[in-house]
Amino acid sequence: MIRAGAAALRAWSKARGWAALSTAPPAPPAAPEPRREEPPVPPPVPPPVPSPVLRSCRVPVVPPLSPLQAWVGSLRHPEDTLRGLADLHPDVFGVSPRLDILHTVATWQRNYKRISHARVRSRAEVRGGGRKPWRQKGSGRARHGSARSPLWRGGGIAHGPRGPTSYFYMLPMRVRVLGLKVALSAKLMQDELHLVDSLEMPSGDPRYLQELARARRWGHSVLVVDSDEFPENIIAAASGLKSITLIPALGLNVHSLLKHQTLVLTLGAVTFLEQRLLWHESRYSPLVPFSLPHRDPPPPPRAA
Amino acid sequence: MAAVRALLALGVAARRRPELGPAGLRAFWGGRRKEEGEVEADRAVPEKAESSEPSLIHPLPRCRSYIPPEDLQSCLECHVREVFGPSVPEDWQQAPLQENRLKYRLLARLAAELGHAVPNSQLHRVRCAGDVLGFYRTPVKDSTEIDELAAAELPPNLKIIWQQ
Repeated sequence: MIRAGAAALRAWSKARGWAALSTAPPAPPAAPEPRREEPPVPPPVPPPVPSPVLRSCRVPVVPPLSPLQAWVGSLRHPEDTLRGLADLHPDVFGVSPRLDILHTVATWQRNYKRISHARVRSRAEVRGGGRKPWRQKGSGRARHGSARSPLWRGGGIAHGPRGPTSYFYMLPMRVRVLGLKVALSAKLMQDELHLVDSLEMPSGDPRYLQELARARRWGHSVLVVDSDEFPENIIAAASGLKSITLIPALGLNVHSLLKHQTLVLTLGAVTFLEQRLLWHESRYSPLVPFSLPHRDPPPPPRAA
Repeated sequence: MAAVRALLALGVAARRRPELGPAGLRAFWGGRRKEEGEVEADRAVPEKAESSEPSLIHPLPRCRSYIPPEDLQSCLECHVREVFGPSVPEDWQQAPLQENRLKYRLLARLAAELGHAVPNSQLHRVRCAGDVLGFYRTPVKDSTEIDELAAAELPPNLKIIWQQ
Protein backbone atom coordinates (compact mmCIF):
# COMPACT_ATOMS: atom_id res chain seq x y z
CA MET A 1 0.00 0.00 0.00
CA ILE A 2 2.71 2.43 1.08
CA ARG A 3 4.89 1.35 -1.88
CA ALA A 4 1.98 1.89 -4.26
CA GLY A 5 1.42 5.34 -2.77
CA ALA A 6 5.09 6.25 -3.02
CA ALA A 7 5.22 5.06 -6.63
CA ALA A 8 2.10 7.10 -7.44
CA LEU A 9 3.58 10.23 -5.83
CA ARG A 10 6.82 9.73 -7.76
CA ALA A 11 4.88 9.46 -11.02
CA TRP A 12 2.85 12.56 -10.11
CA SER A 13 5.97 14.55 -9.42
CA LYS A 14 7.10 13.70 -12.97
CA ALA A 15 4.26 15.93 -14.12
CA ARG A 16 1.83 13.21 -15.04
CA GLY A 17 -0.88 15.02 -13.11
CA TRP A 18 -3.94 13.64 -11.35
CA ALA A 19 -3.99 10.61 -13.67
CA ALA A 20 -1.08 9.19 -11.64
CA LEU A 21 -3.30 8.73 -8.58
CA SER A 22 -5.65 6.32 -10.35
CA THR A 23 -6.16 3.04 -8.52
CA ALA A 24 -5.64 0.93 -11.63
CA PRO A 25 -2.27 -0.88 -11.56
CA PRO A 26 0.37 0.85 -13.70
CA ALA A 27 1.22 -0.70 -17.06
CA PRO A 28 4.48 -2.73 -16.91
CA PRO A 29 7.39 -0.77 -18.42
CA ALA A 30 8.92 -1.96 -21.69
CA ALA A 31 12.52 -1.86 -20.36
CA PRO A 32 13.44 -3.08 -16.86
CA GLU A 33 13.76 -0.21 -14.35
CA PRO A 34 17.24 0.08 -12.91
CA ARG A 35 16.10 1.08 -9.40
CA ARG A 36 13.49 -1.63 -8.90
CA GLU A 37 14.17 -3.54 -5.68
CA GLU A 38 11.52 -6.27 -5.67
CA PRO A 39 12.23 -9.36 -7.84
CA PRO A 40 10.01 -9.76 -10.92
CA VAL A 41 6.70 -11.47 -10.16
CA PRO A 42 6.68 -14.87 -11.95
CA PRO A 43 3.69 -15.63 -14.16
CA PRO A 44 1.00 -17.88 -12.65
CA VAL A 45 1.52 -21.66 -12.68
CA PRO A 46 0.39 -22.95 -16.11
CA PRO A 47 -2.35 -25.58 -16.24
CA PRO A 48 -1.23 -29.20 -16.82
CA VAL A 49 -0.42 -29.80 -20.48
CA PRO A 50 -2.89 -32.32 -21.95
CA SER A 51 -0.71 -33.39 -24.89
CA PRO A 52 2.88 -34.15 -23.92
CA VAL A 53 5.84 -33.35 -26.17
CA LEU A 54 7.15 -36.76 -27.31
CA ARG A 55 10.25 -36.98 -29.47
CA SER A 56 11.63 -40.13 -31.04
CA CYS A 57 15.05 -40.55 -32.61
CA ARG A 58 15.20 -39.48 -36.27
CA VAL A 59 18.13 -41.83 -36.83
CA PRO A 60 16.93 -45.40 -36.23
CA VAL A 61 18.34 -47.10 -33.16
CA VAL A 62 19.70 -50.54 -34.05
CA PRO A 63 18.96 -53.23 -31.43
CA PRO A 64 20.29 -54.45 -28.97
CA LEU A 65 20.81 -50.76 -28.15
CA SER A 66 17.80 -49.00 -26.66
CA PRO A 67 17.34 -45.25 -26.69
CA LEU A 68 18.12 -43.11 -23.67
CA GLN A 69 15.51 -40.68 -22.47
CA ALA A 70 15.24 -37.23 -20.98
CA TRP A 71 12.50 -34.92 -19.79
CA VAL A 72 11.53 -32.02 -22.03
CA GLY A 73 10.86 -28.80 -20.16
CA SER A 74 10.41 -25.20 -21.18
CA LEU A 75 11.59 -21.79 -20.07
CA ARG A 76 8.13 -20.23 -19.83
CA HIS A 77 7.87 -20.84 -16.10
CA PRO A 78 10.36 -22.00 -13.45
CA GLU A 79 8.11 -24.94 -12.50
CA ASP A 80 7.46 -26.05 -16.10
CA THR A 81 9.98 -28.88 -16.24
CA LEU A 82 7.92 -31.92 -17.25
CA ARG A 83 6.37 -31.06 -20.57
CA GLY A 84 7.25 -34.25 -22.36
CA LEU A 85 9.67 -37.09 -22.90
CA ALA A 86 12.36 -37.30 -25.58
CA ASP A 87 14.35 -40.27 -26.87
CA LEU A 88 18.09 -39.79 -27.26
CA HIS A 89 20.30 -41.89 -29.49
CA PRO A 90 22.57 -44.13 -27.40
CA ASP A 91 25.51 -43.81 -29.82
CA VAL A 92 25.61 -40.07 -29.16
CA PHE A 93 24.44 -39.72 -25.59
CA GLY A 94 25.40 -43.13 -24.22
CA VAL A 95 28.97 -43.86 -25.26
CA SER A 96 31.47 -45.13 -22.73
CA PRO A 97 33.16 -42.39 -20.69
CA ARG A 98 36.52 -42.05 -22.43
CA LEU A 99 38.23 -39.47 -20.24
CA ASP A 100 41.42 -39.77 -22.23
CA ILE A 101 39.57 -38.67 -25.37
CA LEU A 102 38.15 -35.69 -23.46
CA HIS A 103 41.62 -34.73 -22.33
CA THR A 104 43.04 -35.13 -25.82
CA VAL A 105 40.37 -33.01 -27.46
CA ALA A 106 40.43 -30.33 -24.74
CA THR A 107 44.21 -30.07 -24.98
CA TRP A 108 44.00 -29.87 -28.77
CA GLN A 109 41.44 -27.07 -28.52
CA ARG A 110 43.73 -25.14 -26.24
CA ASN A 111 46.91 -25.67 -28.23
CA TYR A 112 46.09 -25.70 -31.92
CA LYS A 113 45.45 -21.96 -31.96
CA ARG A 114 48.56 -21.18 -29.96
CA ILE A 115 51.35 -19.17 -31.50
CA SER A 116 54.13 -18.42 -29.07
CA HIS A 117 55.89 -15.17 -29.96
CA ALA A 118 58.80 -15.67 -27.56
CA ARG A 119 62.09 -14.94 -29.31
CA VAL A 120 65.55 -14.21 -27.90
CA ARG A 121 68.65 -13.16 -29.69
CA SER A 122 71.37 -15.69 -30.41
CA ARG A 123 75.03 -14.83 -30.41
CA ALA A 124 74.80 -13.93 -34.08
CA GLU A 125 72.02 -11.40 -33.52
CA VAL A 126 73.31 -9.60 -30.45
CA ARG A 127 74.87 -6.29 -31.34
CA GLY A 128 78.66 -6.44 -31.38
CA GLY A 129 80.90 -9.41 -30.75
CA GLY A 130 82.74 -9.49 -34.08
CA ARG A 131 86.20 -8.87 -32.74
CA LYS A 132 88.35 -11.20 -30.71
CA PRO A 133 88.48 -9.54 -27.23
CA TRP A 134 92.14 -10.32 -26.53
CA ARG A 135 94.91 -12.32 -28.12
CA GLN A 136 94.73 -16.11 -28.01
CA LYS A 137 97.90 -16.70 -25.95
CA GLY A 138 99.87 -14.83 -23.36
CA SER A 139 97.29 -12.60 -21.65
CA GLY A 140 96.62 -15.05 -18.82
CA ARG A 141 92.86 -14.97 -19.33
CA ALA A 142 90.63 -17.70 -20.82
CA ARG A 143 90.58 -17.82 -24.56
CA HIS A 144 87.55 -16.22 -26.21
CA GLY A 145 86.61 -15.40 -29.76
CA SER A 146 83.65 -13.10 -29.23
CA ALA A 147 82.29 -10.91 -26.45
CA ARG A 148 78.74 -11.98 -27.16
CA SER A 149 79.05 -15.74 -26.86
CA PRO A 150 76.55 -17.47 -24.49
CA LEU A 151 79.25 -17.69 -21.83
CA TRP A 152 79.50 -13.92 -21.56
CA ARG A 153 77.28 -11.53 -19.64
CA GLY A 154 75.23 -9.67 -22.24
CA GLY A 155 75.80 -12.40 -24.76
CA GLY A 156 73.27 -14.27 -26.83
CA ILE A 157 71.18 -17.19 -25.58
CA ALA A 158 72.29 -20.59 -26.80
CA HIS A 159 69.09 -22.66 -27.19
CA GLY A 160 66.37 -20.16 -26.44
CA PRO A 161 62.93 -19.78 -28.01
CA ARG A 162 63.32 -18.88 -31.62
CA GLY A 163 60.71 -16.76 -33.22
CA PRO A 164 56.97 -17.25 -33.55
CA THR A 165 56.34 -20.93 -32.96
CA SER A 166 53.12 -22.54 -34.02
CA TYR A 167 51.64 -25.42 -32.07
CA PHE A 168 49.10 -26.22 -34.71
CA TYR A 169 48.07 -29.81 -35.22
CA MET A 170 44.82 -31.52 -36.17
CA LEU A 171 43.34 -34.52 -34.48
CA PRO A 172 41.57 -36.99 -36.72
CA MET A 173 37.99 -35.97 -37.39
CA ARG A 174 36.61 -39.10 -35.81
CA VAL A 175 38.50 -38.43 -32.57
CA ARG A 176 37.01 -34.95 -32.34
CA VAL A 177 33.55 -36.32 -33.04
CA LEU A 178 34.03 -38.98 -30.37
CA GLY A 179 35.11 -36.28 -27.95
CA LEU A 180 31.81 -34.47 -28.45
CA LYS A 181 29.88 -37.70 -27.98
CA VAL A 182 31.76 -38.53 -24.77
CA ALA A 183 31.18 -35.05 -23.39
CA LEU A 184 27.44 -35.20 -24.15
CA SER A 185 27.20 -38.65 -22.58
CA ALA A 186 28.99 -37.42 -19.48
CA LYS A 187 26.58 -34.51 -19.18
CA LEU A 188 23.58 -36.83 -19.44
CA MET A 189 24.92 -39.37 -17.00
CA GLN A 190 25.72 -36.72 -14.41
CA ASP A 191 22.21 -35.18 -14.61
CA GLU A 192 23.58 -31.99 -16.05
CA LEU A 193 21.75 -32.21 -19.37
CA HIS A 194 18.32 -30.65 -19.76
CA LEU A 195 16.09 -30.56 -22.80
CA VAL A 196 13.80 -27.72 -23.71
CA ASP A 197 11.18 -27.62 -26.47
CA SER A 198 11.96 -24.02 -27.39
CA LEU A 199 13.77 -21.05 -25.90
CA GLU A 200 10.73 -18.74 -25.64
CA MET A 201 10.69 -16.72 -22.47
CA PRO A 202 7.95 -14.52 -21.01
CA SER A 203 10.37 -11.61 -20.47
CA GLY A 204 13.88 -10.59 -21.40
CA ASP A 205 14.83 -9.83 -17.80
CA PRO A 206 18.18 -11.38 -16.81
CA ARG A 207 16.87 -11.80 -13.25
CA TYR A 208 14.07 -14.05 -14.47
CA LEU A 209 16.54 -16.36 -16.14
CA GLN A 210 18.78 -16.30 -13.09
CA GLU A 211 15.84 -17.15 -10.81
CA LEU A 212 14.84 -19.97 -13.14
CA ALA A 213 18.34 -21.42 -13.10
CA ARG A 214 18.45 -21.17 -9.31
CA ALA A 215 15.01 -22.70 -8.82
CA ARG A 216 15.83 -25.63 -11.09
CA ARG A 217 19.22 -26.03 -9.37
CA TRP A 218 21.16 -25.91 -12.61
CA GLY A 219 24.48 -24.93 -11.03
CA HIS A 220 26.85 -22.03 -11.46
CA SER A 221 27.12 -21.90 -15.24
CA VAL A 222 24.69 -22.83 -17.99
CA LEU A 223 25.35 -23.43 -21.69
CA VAL A 224 22.31 -23.03 -23.92
CA VAL A 225 22.46 -24.55 -27.41
CA ASP A 226 19.98 -24.07 -30.23
CA SER A 227 20.14 -24.98 -33.91
CA ASP A 228 17.98 -22.11 -35.22
CA GLU A 229 18.09 -18.45 -34.35
CA PHE A 230 17.59 -17.48 -30.75
CA PRO A 231 14.47 -15.51 -29.69
CA GLU A 232 15.10 -11.91 -28.67
CA ASN A 233 14.09 -12.40 -25.06
CA ILE A 234 16.71 -14.97 -24.28
CA ILE A 235 19.38 -12.98 -26.11
CA ALA A 236 18.56 -9.95 -23.96
CA ALA A 237 18.47 -12.02 -20.78
CA ALA A 238 21.72 -13.89 -21.42
CA SER A 239 23.61 -10.77 -22.49
CA GLY A 240 23.03 -9.40 -18.99
CA LEU A 241 24.43 -12.50 -17.28
CA LYS A 242 27.96 -13.81 -17.23
CA SER A 243 27.11 -17.33 -16.13
CA ILE A 244 24.68 -18.18 -18.96
CA THR A 245 26.06 -18.51 -22.49
CA LEU A 246 24.22 -19.01 -25.76
CA ILE A 247 25.90 -20.82 -28.64
CA PRO A 248 24.60 -22.27 -31.90
CA ALA A 249 24.76 -26.03 -32.33
CA LEU A 250 27.61 -25.66 -34.84
CA GLY A 251 29.72 -24.04 -32.14
CA LEU A 252 29.41 -26.88 -29.64
CA ASN A 253 32.84 -27.91 -28.37
CA VAL A 254 34.36 -29.99 -25.60
CA HIS A 255 35.96 -27.05 -23.80
CA SER A 256 32.65 -25.20 -23.46
CA LEU A 257 30.92 -28.37 -22.32
CA LEU A 258 33.49 -28.93 -19.62
CA LYS A 259 33.61 -25.28 -18.60
CA HIS A 260 29.88 -24.89 -18.04
CA GLN A 261 28.17 -26.96 -15.37
CA THR A 262 24.82 -27.43 -17.08
CA LEU A 263 23.87 -27.95 -20.70
CA VAL A 264 20.46 -26.96 -22.04
CA LEU A 265 19.60 -28.28 -25.51
CA THR A 266 16.57 -27.61 -27.65
CA LEU A 267 14.96 -30.50 -29.54
CA GLY A 268 16.15 -28.99 -32.82
CA ALA A 269 19.70 -28.96 -31.54
CA VAL A 270 19.39 -32.61 -30.48
CA THR A 271 18.24 -33.63 -33.97
CA PHE A 272 21.05 -31.64 -35.58
CA LEU A 273 23.71 -33.12 -33.30
CA GLU A 274 22.46 -36.67 -33.75
CA GLN A 275 22.46 -36.36 -37.52
CA ARG A 276 25.88 -34.76 -37.76
CA LEU A 277 27.64 -36.90 -35.17
CA LEU A 278 26.22 -40.21 -36.35
CA TRP A 279 27.08 -39.64 -40.00
CA HIS A 280 30.76 -40.14 -39.25
CA GLU A 281 30.21 -43.69 -38.04
CA SER A 282 29.17 -44.99 -41.43
CA ARG A 283 30.92 -42.75 -43.93
CA TYR A 284 33.68 -43.59 -46.36
CA SER A 285 37.10 -42.06 -46.01
CA PRO A 286 37.21 -38.89 -48.06
CA LEU A 287 39.05 -38.92 -51.40
CA VAL A 288 39.39 -35.14 -51.09
CA PRO A 289 39.73 -33.50 -47.66
CA PHE A 290 36.45 -32.11 -46.42
CA SER A 291 37.95 -28.66 -45.99
CA LEU A 292 38.43 -28.42 -49.78
CA PRO A 293 35.54 -28.06 -52.19
CA HIS A 294 34.17 -31.50 -52.89
CA ARG A 295 31.10 -33.25 -54.18
CA ASP A 296 29.13 -35.87 -52.30
CA PRO A 297 29.58 -39.34 -53.77
CA PRO A 298 26.77 -40.40 -56.12
CA PRO A 299 24.12 -42.61 -54.50
CA PRO A 300 24.64 -46.34 -55.02
CA PRO A 301 22.77 -47.67 -58.08
CA ARG A 302 19.45 -49.27 -57.16
CA ALA A 303 19.04 -52.84 -58.32
CA ALA A 304 16.40 -52.60 -61.07
CA MET B 1 54.24 33.45 5.29
CA ALA B 2 51.34 31.06 5.21
CA ALA B 3 53.17 28.95 2.63
CA VAL B 4 56.30 28.87 4.79
CA ARG B 5 54.22 27.81 7.79
CA ALA B 6 52.61 25.03 5.72
CA LEU B 7 56.04 23.85 4.59
CA LEU B 8 57.34 23.87 8.16
CA ALA B 9 54.30 21.88 9.30
CA LEU B 10 54.90 19.32 6.53
CA GLY B 11 58.55 19.10 7.49
CA VAL B 12 57.68 18.62 11.13
CA ALA B 13 55.14 15.91 10.26
CA ALA B 14 57.66 14.10 8.07
CA ARG B 15 60.34 14.28 10.76
CA ARG B 16 57.94 13.02 13.44
CA ARG B 17 59.39 10.01 15.16
CA PRO B 18 57.75 6.82 13.88
CA GLU B 19 56.08 4.65 16.48
CA LEU B 20 58.32 1.87 17.68
CA GLY B 21 55.47 -0.61 18.31
CA PRO B 22 54.72 -3.56 15.99
CA ALA B 23 52.01 -1.62 14.16
CA GLY B 24 54.33 1.29 13.58
CA LEU B 25 57.14 -0.95 12.35
CA ARG B 26 54.74 -2.82 10.04
CA ALA B 27 53.55 0.46 8.56
CA PHE B 28 57.15 1.62 8.22
CA TRP B 29 58.20 -1.52 6.35
CA GLY B 30 55.29 -1.29 3.90
CA GLY B 31 52.34 -2.79 5.74
CA ARG B 32 50.09 -1.16 3.14
CA ARG B 33 51.10 -3.69 0.52
CA LYS B 34 49.20 -6.44 2.38
CA GLU B 35 45.99 -4.45 2.35
CA GLU B 36 46.36 -3.71 -1.34
CA GLY B 37 47.06 -7.37 -2.01
CA GLU B 38 43.98 -8.40 -0.04
CA VAL B 39 41.83 -5.95 -1.96
CA GLU B 40 43.15 -7.28 -5.26
CA ALA B 41 42.62 -10.85 -4.11
CA ASP B 42 39.04 -10.05 -3.11
CA ARG B 43 38.40 -8.53 -6.50
CA ALA B 44 39.98 -11.50 -8.23
CA VAL B 45 37.68 -13.97 -6.44
CA PRO B 46 35.18 -14.98 -9.10
CA GLU B 47 31.77 -13.48 -8.45
CA LYS B 48 29.30 -16.27 -8.14
CA ALA B 49 25.59 -15.67 -8.59
CA GLU B 50 26.26 -12.15 -9.83
CA SER B 51 26.92 -10.83 -6.30
CA SER B 52 30.00 -9.93 -4.25
CA GLU B 53 29.72 -12.78 -1.73
CA PRO B 54 32.83 -14.53 -0.40
CA SER B 55 33.81 -17.91 -1.77
CA LEU B 56 33.07 -19.71 1.54
CA ILE B 57 29.39 -19.59 0.80
CA HIS B 58 27.43 -22.80 1.24
CA PRO B 59 27.30 -24.59 -2.11
CA LEU B 60 23.90 -24.87 -3.76
CA PRO B 61 22.29 -28.25 -3.09
CA ARG B 62 22.06 -30.09 -6.42
CA CYS B 63 18.89 -32.07 -5.65
CA ARG B 64 15.93 -31.71 -3.34
CA SER B 65 15.63 -34.08 -0.43
CA TYR B 66 13.01 -36.79 -0.73
CA ILE B 67 11.63 -39.17 1.89
CA PRO B 68 9.39 -41.95 0.56
CA PRO B 69 5.86 -41.81 2.04
CA GLU B 70 4.47 -44.80 3.88
CA ASP B 71 1.62 -45.54 1.49
CA LEU B 72 3.90 -45.47 -1.52
CA GLN B 73 2.99 -48.90 -2.85
CA SER B 74 -0.78 -48.42 -2.78
CA CYS B 75 -0.50 -44.92 -4.23
CA LEU B 76 1.70 -46.20 -7.04
CA GLU B 77 -0.63 -49.11 -7.73
CA CYS B 78 -3.66 -46.90 -8.12
CA HIS B 79 -1.76 -44.53 -10.42
CA VAL B 80 -0.64 -47.47 -12.59
CA ARG B 81 -4.20 -48.75 -12.85
CA GLU B 82 -5.45 -45.28 -13.77
CA VAL B 83 -2.86 -44.77 -16.49
CA PHE B 84 -2.95 -48.26 -18.00
CA GLY B 85 -6.65 -48.74 -17.65
CA PRO B 86 -7.88 -52.21 -18.67
CA SER B 87 -4.55 -53.28 -20.23
CA VAL B 88 -2.73 -53.57 -16.90
CA PRO B 89 -1.34 -57.12 -16.44
CA GLU B 90 -2.16 -59.24 -13.38
CA ASP B 91 0.98 -58.33 -11.53
CA TRP B 92 0.88 -54.52 -11.77
CA GLN B 93 4.60 -54.34 -11.13
CA GLN B 94 5.25 -56.04 -14.48
CA ALA B 95 3.37 -53.35 -16.41
CA PRO B 96 5.76 -52.37 -19.22
CA LEU B 97 6.64 -48.72 -19.83
CA GLN B 98 7.91 -49.10 -23.40
CA GLU B 99 5.42 -46.62 -24.83
CA ASN B 100 6.59 -43.09 -24.23
CA ARG B 101 3.04 -41.76 -23.82
CA LEU B 102 2.17 -44.08 -20.94
CA LYS B 103 5.57 -43.65 -19.37
CA TYR B 104 5.28 -39.85 -19.48
CA ARG B 105 1.78 -39.91 -18.02
CA LEU B 106 2.70 -42.17 -15.12
CA LEU B 107 5.98 -40.50 -14.25
CA ALA B 108 4.58 -36.96 -14.59
CA ARG B 109 1.71 -37.81 -12.23
CA LEU B 110 4.05 -39.31 -9.68
CA ALA B 111 6.43 -36.37 -9.92
CA ALA B 112 3.59 -33.90 -9.39
CA GLU B 113 2.26 -35.84 -6.42
CA LEU B 114 5.48 -36.77 -4.63
CA GLY B 115 7.51 -33.70 -5.64
CA HIS B 116 10.38 -35.91 -6.86
CA ALA B 117 11.00 -36.68 -10.54
CA VAL B 118 13.13 -39.44 -12.04
CA PRO B 119 16.39 -37.78 -13.18
CA ASN B 120 17.41 -37.95 -16.84
CA SER B 121 20.22 -40.40 -16.17
CA GLN B 122 17.83 -42.98 -14.64
CA LEU B 123 14.96 -42.62 -17.11
CA HIS B 124 16.24 -45.30 -19.46
CA ARG B 125 16.56 -47.77 -16.57
CA VAL B 126 12.93 -47.43 -15.57
CA ARG B 127 11.30 -50.06 -17.82
CA CYS B 128 8.39 -51.37 -15.74
CA ALA B 129 6.31 -50.27 -12.81
CA GLY B 130 8.47 -52.34 -10.46
CA ASP B 131 11.51 -50.21 -11.39
CA VAL B 132 9.46 -47.10 -10.61
CA LEU B 133 8.58 -48.52 -7.21
CA GLY B 134 12.22 -49.32 -6.50
CA PHE B 135 13.28 -45.82 -7.49
CA TYR B 136 10.71 -44.07 -5.33
CA ARG B 137 11.61 -46.21 -2.34
CA THR B 138 15.15 -44.83 -2.15
CA PRO B 139 15.37 -41.61 -0.10
CA VAL B 140 17.45 -38.69 -1.35
CA LYS B 141 19.24 -36.25 0.92
CA ASP B 142 20.40 -32.80 -0.13
CA SER B 143 22.83 -32.08 2.72
CA THR B 144 26.52 -32.35 1.98
CA GLU B 145 28.93 -34.42 4.04
CA ILE B 146 30.18 -31.30 5.73
CA ASP B 147 26.65 -30.51 6.88
CA GLU B 148 26.33 -33.96 8.39
CA LEU B 149 29.71 -33.54 10.04
CA ALA B 150 28.64 -30.21 11.44
CA ALA B 151 25.46 -31.76 12.82
CA ALA B 152 27.37 -34.63 14.46
CA GLU B 153 29.27 -34.36 17.75
CA LEU B 154 32.53 -32.56 17.24
CA PRO B 155 35.48 -32.13 19.61
CA PRO B 156 35.38 -28.76 21.39
CA ASN B 157 38.23 -27.26 19.40
CA LEU B 158 36.65 -27.91 15.96
CA LYS B 159 34.04 -25.59 14.54
CA ILE B 160 32.45 -25.65 11.10
CA ILE B 161 30.81 -22.41 10.01
CA TRP B 162 29.44 -21.56 6.58
CA GLN B 163 29.49 -17.87 5.83
CA GLN B 164 25.95 -16.87 4.93
